[in-house]
Amino acid sequence: MDLGLALVVAAAPSFIASAVEFVEATTIVLAVGVTRGWRAPLLGTLAAAATLAVIIGLLGVTLVTVVPEHALKLFVGVLLLLFGLRWLRKAVLRFAGIVAMHDEERIYRREIAELRAKGRQQTRFDRVGALVAYKAVLLEGTEVAFIVIAFGAGGGAALTSAIIGALSAGVVVIALGAALRHPLTMVPENWMKFGVGAMLSSFGVFWFAEGLGTEWPGDALSIVAILAAFLAASWLAVRMLRALLPGGAEVAARNV
Amino acid sequence: MSSFLRGLWENTFGLLVEDGSLAVGILAALAIVWVASNALGDARRDLAGWLLLVLLVALLLVNLNAAGRTARRKTSS
Repeated sequence: MDLGLALVVAAAPSFIASAVEFVEATTIVLAVGVTRGWRAPLLGTLAAAATLAVIIGLLGVTLVTVVPEHALKLFVGVLLLLFGLRWLRKAVLRFAGIVAMHDEERIYRREIAELRAKGRQQTRFDRVGALVAYKAVLLEGTEVAFIVIAFGAGGGAALTSAIIGALSAGVVVIALGAALRHPLTMVPENWMKFGVGAMLSSFGVFWFAEGLGTEWPGDALSIVAILAAFLAASWLAVRMLRALLPGGAEVAARNV
Repeated sequence: MSSFLRGLWENTFGLLVEDGSLAVGILAALAIVWVASNALGDARRDLAGWLLLVLLVALLLVNLNAAGRTARRKTSS
């Protein structure tokens, strides 16, 4: 994969997908910082980043050095399809009005109310604040790791581009969050999640088939055709569900 | 510590599986395509990727249709 194609195929989607995760983590860290002070959530964030670095370092080195290339592609393909189709399903349910749209402002207010209800002792280190930030950053960071693996599974330039895309997203989102001190509600997260779900699923199909020994026409460019098929099916599904439930419903995604 | 590890496991598992039937369907589609790619032989192995795409798109539509019907039943009752 040449550098130009790697940037288009890996860096740009990695930036968009990772930005969604960084926005979600930033919302929680902001909520903790605003209600309980900044020391504990920042320490929790740093601890989560260190944990992630260890996990990614150990797993990444093991995967790259021990697992044969075709087996790695199969493994990454399976993970991406489980992860991506779950995301795409939820996005379709949201756009069909069956599951509530993701709302950073609502999540931020709910977190603040919950954190205030827990109270705090002023004199001691705020364990609750640190733990909430740690869990949020670790969970969203794990998703970023999935995303980097997904878009960088081609190795070499693709992996470097995916890492650059994810790191750039982190820098942009954290800088915006620090400057605004408010959840980044201007980011069109629901649309981004829709696109990212379709992209992850497309990469999952691509890598799994490559792991089986399939050669795609046009190599990585065939991902565009796969993506078009998933987007067309999703559009069809949204129309089908709107016809089925014209008034919509607000049910939890795991309950339907 | 055990509750923290359980929470970590549930979060990681939740990243991949939200709807059990969708996850099982994906794994079944992958198994079918794996068997088919071996049965097709080298000359037709390149069809395996497209077969996987067709199976997954069909699975997504069937799963979402079922989800819509469940939601309609829940809202009407």
